[in-house]
Amino acid sequence: MRPEAMARHQGGMWPWLMQRVTAVLVFVTMAIHLTATHLLNIGDLSYDNIAGRLAHSGMALVDFTLLAAVVFHALNGVRMVWLDYSLAGSGRRVVDVAFWIIGVGVFFYGAWALWPWITG
Amino acid sequence: MSLQDRETANVGAGLWKGTGMWAWILFRISGLVLAFYLFVHIGVISQGRASGAHTLNRIFTTFDKPLFVFLDLMLVAAVLYHALNGVRILLMDLGVGIRSHKTVFWVLMTIAAVLLGVFVTVAFPYIF
Repeated sequence: MRPEAMARHQGGMWPWLMQRVTAVLVFVTMAIHLTATHLLNIGDLSYDNIAGRLAHSGMALVDFTLLAAVVFHALNGVRMVWLDYSLAGSGRRVVDVAFWIIGVGVFFYGAWALWPWITG
Repeated sequence: MSLQDRETANVGAGLWKGTGMWAWILFRISGLVLAFYLFVHIGVISQGRASGAHTLNRIFTTFDKPLFVFLDLMLVAAVLYHALNGVRILLMDLGVGIRSHKTVFWVLMTIAAVLLGVFVTVAFPYIF
């Protein structure tokens, strides 16, 4: 990595790296997710259709990975926009903690919602 | 943060003019739209467990209209733009293709357009 590429981001080294790691994960799993829902199963959207898809452990793994990675990526993205418009230091730690609480909460809610489809 | 820092804080923002600026602005807007949609999506799909299969199927029937299929294609377009422009940002961070960054951008946008064409072709019968 070029040092200037990392220095460009004020959000911290780990969020910067995690944003790129989750970007790759979302890229791959979103491609599979959209191919399954929008190209192969278009017009068949229903509770049972989702159940049939998630009955395959591979597809369940794809959707779980996508859920975790995209929730992080989306919330950190919103955080980066927020940092660009906020004054440095003002309550930043509190906001970071709030983003983590929201993210973990949304992930577990999403996992809870998917669970009956996966366990059948 | 000074104005100069803010201008160079994001890929594309350093060039506060031309293609790079628009690439950056569209990346932000598409990102915010997709982040908002993500939470709507989780809220809707979770009704399968929260409210039951019958309620979720009723919601899907409500969405089974040409307007919603069209709006869905707009979301696919936002995903494709955000994903392919994101590839450009990763390539730039890795130091790949910096000297021909504008060509890299337009090659990736051509790929995005072709992929969107596939989704539009498949969804077309559901809109008309």
